[in-house]
Amino acid sequence: MQISRRQVLGAVGAFSLGAVLTSCAGFVRPASTPATGELTFTTWGSDSELVGFRKAIAGFESANPGAKITLNVVPYQQIYPTVDAQLQSNTAPDIFRVDYRNFGRYAGSKQLLNLEPLLDASVGASFTDALWRAVQFDGKPYGVPHHTDTTAILYNKAAFAAAGITSVPTTLETAWTWDEFEKVALTLQRKLPVGKYPFAYNWQGQGAARWLNWLFQADGRFLDKKLRSPAIDSEAGRAAIDFTKSFFTRKLVPANNSVKSSTYASDLFFSETVAMTFAGAFLIPDAAKLANFEWGATFSPRDKRGGGDLGGNALVATAGTTKKTLAAKFLAYMVGQKTMRDFCATSSLLPTRKDLVAKGIEFTVRPELSKIFVGQASTVRAADTAQVASPAMGAITTVLSDQLEQAFIGGQSTKDTLAGMTAGITQALSR
Amino acid sequence: MLNPSRRPRWVRSTLAGYAFLAPSLVLLGLFVFLPLGWAFVISLKQTNGFGDGAFVGLANYGRLLTDPVFWRVTLNTALFTIIVVPVSMALGLGLAMLMNSVLPVRALFRTIIVLPMVISGVATALIGVLIYDQNNGIANKLLRVIGLEGIPWQSSGPGAFASVVLVTLWWRIGFNMIIYLAALQGVSPELYESARIEGANGRQQLRYITWPMVGPSTFFLLIMNVIHSFQVFDVIFVLTQGGPGNSTSVLVTYAYTNGFLIRDQGYATAIGIFLLVITLVFTAIQWRVSRTRDLVE
Repeated sequence: MQISRRQVLGAVGAFSLGAVLTSCAGFVRPASTPATGELTFTTWGSDSELVGFRKAIAGFESANPGAKITLNVVPYQQIYPTVDAQLQSNTAPDIFRVDYRNFGRYAGSKQLLNLEPLLDASVGASFTDALWRAVQFDGKPYGVPHHTDTTAILYNKAAFAAAGITSVPTTLETAWTWDEFEKVALTLQRKLPVGKYPFAYNWQGQGAARWLNWLFQADGRFLDKKLRSPAIDSEAGRAAIDFTKSFFTRKLVPANNSVKSSTYASDLFFSETVAMTFAGAFLIPDAAKLANFEWGATFSPRDKRGGGDLGGNALVATAGTTKKTLAAKFLAYMVGQKTMRDFCATSSLLPTRKDLVAKGIEFTVRPELSKIFVGQASTVRAADTAQVASPAMGAITTVLSDQLEQAFIGGQSTKDTLAGMTAGITQALSR
Repeated sequence: MLNPSRRPRWVRSTLAGYAFLAPSLVLLGLFVFLPLGWAFVISLKQTNGFGDGAFVGLANYGRLLTDPVFWRVTLNTALFTIIVVPVSMALGLGLAMLMNSVLPVRALFRTIIVLPMVISGVATALIGVLIYDQNNGIANKLLRVIGLEGIPWQSSGPGAFASVVLVTLWWRIGFNMIIYLAALQGVSPELYESARIEGANGRQQLRYITWPMVGPSTFFLLIMNVIHSFQVFDVIFVLTQGGPGNSTSVLVTYAYTNGFLIRDQGYATAIGIFLLVITLVFTAIQWRVSRTRDLVE
């Protein structure tokens, strides 16, 4: 039998179409269920994220005639009090957006829909291990990892040049070690005028968990392997606290760069008070608009290993939704290959799908920086995300915030800080 | 059955009174007393807000006694109240007297002083952030221009506390001035005229005429300012987030942290009930001891 070129192309085309459809919406089981009805979806978002959400919703509605998604946007500061009040009064949305640090609290309180019977069994294999682990509770998926983000360094090129620093690491393998990073900071400090500082760290605004990057880089843990007891009182914990405390004692960061400060690290960078800032990729569009100087990006430092925070958000359905199948279908659509690529490119966020991570992604703004952040995200391990997804993470973040603040500007010793963290985490886990 | 028209007069007037009160009582019951009762029930539980929670009796109140942060924030709240209430009232009275005099362009000054009152607390605090940013804020830039060191508004406890107090004063003075101005305009000029004829100087007129005559306003403002000070939240939440350390944390920000960040809602509600009790106690004491609250000319 002779196979014509046209037949080969047709077969390849049919196979490709199937693969594309699978990657878009084929996660749902059973796939033939009609997707009609209305869903409410509560989220917060930057302008670019909301553009991405609206575009994705329009795509879903057009692919599923009869389906309607009502988007409810609330400010970030109000999202959890709002959703909590709605859950308590049985008026919760069908779908909401939740960051990975708060995911565990909702899943652990049985407020989220178990997606295991609704999603295809192979769906987990589509995501990176760390991100798929981040939406699990008791071994079952209670959400889909919509996107991620992690912390890298943005630097002021003119300030670096003035200090004689002519190159920055361009690969993960050559990322500065802690010692090298400290030397760069001290070099900058010598050259910068009075009132200017080498860098700022982004642990403000409930971002205390970003301190864990240093702990992970020192190959430490804050919870034990069973996630039931604190494990922060360790050599790695001591090293991370000592190193980050030295930022303040050696004046490598401004005094108002502490955890509870109302001045964000990014603002210190935009105002050229600091020459470097630690920042998530989500900040790139803002930096492109607000930083009136040339800036670049490089990887976060590494110690015993690379490490980054689990930024980004999951999408979840509430346990009380009456449209379980439609909700699952919508969630599957939102993490489809094309939808995720478009959303991440527009919003400068990182994909959670293995195929997109492997292929890379190009941000709409400053596309050349995509590989820095995608590379940095690869340092986030499943063992790290399992700890961050603990139902007690909200309370643990407050413990970290209180103790780090005391260590950084309250003069609290490393020993007392570790003891305070251990006691606080124990109490948080017991609730 | 008794004919309504044959009911005694006092019964009819009582029923009429309650009939007039009923709409307010229903609204108060639904939106104040019922939530208060509910809050008290929650304060007896350990709960993250979902499900029924576990009944723990008075354990949350017991925790208050042994929680050093709670006592720190209580002290901060008291200190904030002790500073802000008298200073804002004194400045409000002073400005009201100025506006009640022959000051030129009074209307313009009045508008400038009252303006912060019509802005939300969050917006006021955001303006405060611009002023008291210790690296690039307006306050430190002005200090440096005149050769002084900048003040660590954000990284030292006293500096941060001072910034919160200054922003709150700026926000509150307008309201105090308006109330005092209304009171002053109700004081008969003949009283001052008589006092002048009798040889009273300015200080004596203030002490023996103005101060007693604005007594009801002082009583009202004292209660309102103390309640507002106990309940301060938005300015601190935006301006300092309770930091550095816990140096500007107050009862409401601590309750918020426990309720919405730690999600220990039973404990957060116990803090709220404590706040309610001390507010009620203060108001009751003021009610008893204030001799000028109902004074009229």
